[in-house]
Amino acid sequence: MIEVLDVHKRYQTDHGPGPWVLRGVNFTIPTNTSVGLIGRNGAGKSTLLRLIGGVDHPNQGRVRRHCRVSWPMGFGGGLQGTLTGRQNAKFVCRLYGEEHEMAERLERIQAFAEIGRYFDEPVKTYSSGMKSRLQFALSLAFDFDVYISDEVTSTGDAAFQAKAAQAFKELVGRSSLIMTSHSGATLQQFCTAGIWLHEGQAHWFDRIDDALAAYQESISA
Amino acid sequence: MSRSAWRITWSVWHALLLREAVARMFGRRAAAVWLFLEPVAGIAFMLFVFTVLRARHVGGMDTALWLSAGLLSFYLFRRTSAQGGSAISANLALFTYRQVKPVDTVITRCLLEGVILLVIATLVAGLLVLMGHSLSADDPLALLWAAFGLWLLGLGWGLITSVLTELVPEMANILNLLMMPLMLISGAIFPLSAIPYPWREWLMFNPVAHGLEGVRAGLSSYYHHVPELSLGYLHGVALTLVFVGLALQIRFRHRVVSL
Repeated sequence: MIEVLDVHKRYQTDHGPGPWVLRGVNFTIPTNTSVGLIGRNGAGKSTLLRLIGGVDHPNQGRVRRHCRVSWPMGFGGGLQGTLTGRQNAKFVCRLYGEEHEMAERLERIQAFAEIGRYFDEPVKTYSSGMKSRLQFALSLAFDFDVYISDEVTSTGDAAFQAKAAQAFKELVGRSSLIMTSHSGATLQQFCTAGIWLHEGQAHWFDRIDDALAAYQESISA
Repeated sequence: MSRSAWRITWSVWHALLLREAVARMFGRRAAAVWLFLEPVAGIAFMLFVFTVLRARHVGGMDTALWLSAGLLSFYLFRRTSAQGGSAISANLALFTYRQVKPVDTVITRCLLEGVILLVIATLVAGLLVLMGHSLSADDPLALLWAAFGLWLLGLGWGLITSVLTELVPEMANILNLLMMPLMLISGAIFPLSAIPYPWREWLMFNPVAHGLEGVRAGLSSYYHHVPELSLGYLHGVALTLVFVGLALQIRFRHRVVSL
């Protein structure tokens, strides 16, 4: 279960504090519920994911995580370009204190990412799709209760998307997902509930279809 | 199953240290060679200048020894503080993992730089012996204590500047400008004891100068060090900087990652 309580967030700009991105966001994500975040560009989707992931901190309010939450996957974050995929993977294994079974984890990561010999090449030589594959494989190698994905599936090809979908099907009942995507079909495939971010507020929908409908209505109006 | 805060920090430091070490050694082509070549070339050049000047001894100490000790000690402070100071901006991608705090990256980088300088110093000492200079530390503990003070000073300065440069990016330029004159007034290539009384007292407010003279005094008991030399002062300033640095890291721990 993840509780988001009255969260306010704005960023510091060169000209002082910027406008509020999130103004009093409140919701509770129940255990084993996969949620899709919907909203137009700049609505604060990535910001909210970073706050839930504990990477950034709200100016006001708080986020309570009652379970193991992954880091937010997406945009090549968390990978060092000069190091190889394997070295990056080792780093994350060590961070999570799972060194004793590192060989097994590395095999799992390598098998899922399917990037072949590039696993031993510097990450800066990767395409964006390969980076997504590696990031996805990295977080799947650890048993989180909730996985956070910031558009990470959108850069992968069809084969990878199918594989990711299959992986999450197998996790149902054990883990859930919080994700953003600009493709409604992807959200419908992975999520049951939805959050629509609009003008700094979050609107909770028990069904993802209702959230998508509300979002469609707001952009056509 | 949850890990204790100490266990997590230990894992993070361990992971960061190995990662930084790999990046420093193999990040660029022949990175390891450059790592050692740069300080050795600096010392060799100054030694050449002093040979031209025909200065065989400085304050009763072999010039080669005096220069190497001074420059290496200065590098210990400068490189530790520079590595620590750039740690946060260089590792922004890592704060994706919420276990990694900005202060962890600064501390591990400083630790690694200390070890690297220790290896470089051993290498230079070996070179000096091969070149026929007699080398033996008369008071090794005092030498190590002074060197540790310089490292601590670098850590403190790195902790402070890493936060300041994140808050005010222009600060990095100013800090770089300050480092050049600092090498001169710390007595790395110029004996401070040659400076007359009222001015020298002013220069000895600089804690780095105490560290350099302390290392030389530990090497040779015959060395005429600056009379104002006080390792207590060096360690006092260093601890103060570390304290201020840690306080800044706590105060701005959210600001530096949300930029």
